[in-house]
Amino acid sequence: MRVTGFSALMTLIVLAAGIFFSSPFAALLLSFATADGFAQLLNRQVLVVIGTSLVTALMATGLAAVVGTVLGYHFTFRKKSGGRWLKTFFSLPLVLPPSAAGYMLLLAFGRYGLIGAPLYQTFSLQIMFTATALVLAQFFVVTPLMMQAASSAFQQVPESLVKASHSLGADDYTTFIKVLLPLSRPVLVAGVITAFARAIGEFGATMMVAGRLKTIPIMIYSKAMGGDAGVADGLSLLLVLLSFLVLLLVNLLGERRR
Amino acid sequence: MSLILDKVSLNIDGHPILKQISFRLSIGQSLVVLGNSGAGKSKLLEVVAGLLKHQSGKISFAGREQDTLSPQERKIGFVFQDYALFPHLTAEANILFGLKARQAPIKEQAKWLKAVAAELKIDHLLKRFPAELSGGQQQRVALARCMVFRPEVLLLDEPLSALDAASRERLALLMKKIQKKYRVTMLYVTHDHNEARYMGDQVLVIDQGRVIQMGKPEEIFSRPVSRFVAHFTATRNILPGRITKRCGDDLARVEVASGELMSTSFPARGEDVWVCLRPEYLSLSDTLPEVSDRISDARSGKLAANFVSGYRIVQIIPQSGVTVLVELVKQGERLLVFASNREIEQQGLHVNSDVELTVDAGQVHCLPRQAEDIYCRPE
Repeated sequence: MRVTGFSALMTLIVLAAGIFFSSPFAALLLSFATADGFAQLLNRQVLVVIGTSLVTALMATGLAAVVGTVLGYHFTFRKKSGGRWLKTFFSLPLVLPPSAAGYMLLLAFGRYGLIGAPLYQTFSLQIMFTATALVLAQFFVVTPLMMQAASSAFQQVPESLVKASHSLGADDYTTFIKVLLPLSRPVLVAGVITAFARAIGEFGATMMVAGRLKTIPIMIYSKAMGGDAGVADGLSLLLVLLSFLVLLLVNLLGERRR
Repeated sequence: MSLILDKVSLNIDGHPILKQISFRLSIGQSLVVLGNSGAGKSKLLEVVAGLLKHQSGKISFAGREQDTLSPQERKIGFVFQDYALFPHLTAEANILFGLKARQAPIKEQAKWLKAVAAELKIDHLLKRFPAELSGGQQQRVALARCMVFRPEVLLLDEPLSALDAASRERLALLMKKIQKKYRVTMLYVTHDHNEARYMGDQVLVIDQGRVIQMGKPEEIFSRPVSRFVAHFTATRNILPGRITKRCGDDLARVEVASGELMSTSFPARGEDVWVCLRPEYLSLSDTLPEVSDRISDARSGKLAANFVSGYRIVQIIPQSGVTVLVELVKQGERLLVFASNREIEQQGLHVNSDVELTVDAGQVHCLPRQAEDIYCRPE
């Protein structure tokens, strides 16, 4: 009897969760169908926003892939005292509210900021409210993701393979390129894909530094607040499809690895 | 011209792993490092290879100090316990990895690859990935990967532990042949006393990071310095005994529960001893009721031999091949003896037969026994 009761309770919770999580998707599909969201996407302004989002997210992901992989390598193989603190510090953007992250970037890279002021005074270089700022904000948020993926990928490589490489005469660089990277490739690729999805969907930090520029999430927000449901529906569905594709790819890579 | 370790100590996270390890191994010789799991055997190899940095002590090879050299600068080949073949590379790419890392000329790479593949009979496996190879084949590829750049020192970390008995024997012979042919100095880690016996010119017994004994295999096996070494080298019969008479420095009379034995290997002082009798040094014969225990007279110039009657066979346990392990008992004292099937059949021995035991005095090895030592029964 207890088993039956437990099963019923489990089924009930799964059903409730299913209804809760599927309702926003159902609502979006319904709204998209009635507002003819797809047609709304073929507008020049929207296409520019999609382009900006894609380009900045790709650049941020590229940068994060390099820097995150290096950080992951550093914290896996070059363990020094205080490494745990430093790794926690680099992971902070993962849990930091994105708006706070954006505000901090403003303080650092704004025209009167810690780094922004000397850059502006010396080179007349303004970072905030440009596409560079969007890249920086996305990079700031996704690098820890990439670092964690790289760290876990490198930890999965048996220690004896690294030792074998060194004993065969390979230096750290050759071992990294010839042994670690090829063996970690599936996890690293999954990390890059996840980082890209996170970058293109980044809202809080990007919003703080975007100025008049718009990315897909910023446009969804502004259109939804302005009552323009068609564009918001189309862009939201685009992000849903992209996210679905990303998860599918990551799962496929995971299965291949196993 | 030797590989010398002088008081090498290693600590990891504040835990002492190796404590003042010292030994000298002539170039071209093989040393088997024998010890329990966690004794520090593998770490010792990693220190020699430069993969772990020791905190104190010195390592030198052929007069060249090694301590300041990186692993890449030492000419050392390392065969890992799990072979550590790169799974994403073919056998050929695995073998060439070291040559490429050391930037050997391409022509030389091809020549050496061909030579080592022929030597180890792996020509037909070169295009396969490690996952497509059997354990024995992986082992050969791992060995080829080390031998291809002609290392000065070859380190092998329990290379046979994952193989079946038949492959183990074949590969052990092959490794020994290659080591002798190329006169490569070899450190071979194992916890298997049988491997230690035939793989090493020297054997070093290590326990809890300390060297307990080093010597030729026959010396380690027939003259263990402690009960730990005796037990670890499968001296199945370790009996509490008492020296009742010393006849000069060469011969002593020692009493055990089942009778008296003459021994030529005994401590200079003290009467309480552990008497070590290796099962392979004991022999059995059908006993006649009128024959009493007798001890030959060493002073007569003949080889001192002990004949002890009154044993009864408790069980006969088949071993590999034609060997059997015979368990005897006399006055509550149990002994294990290796015999051949043929011997047992010819003498008509069976369970409950009365038998006589023969052992040379030179094979009766006595160790000093402390009062707090616990009696160690044979397995």
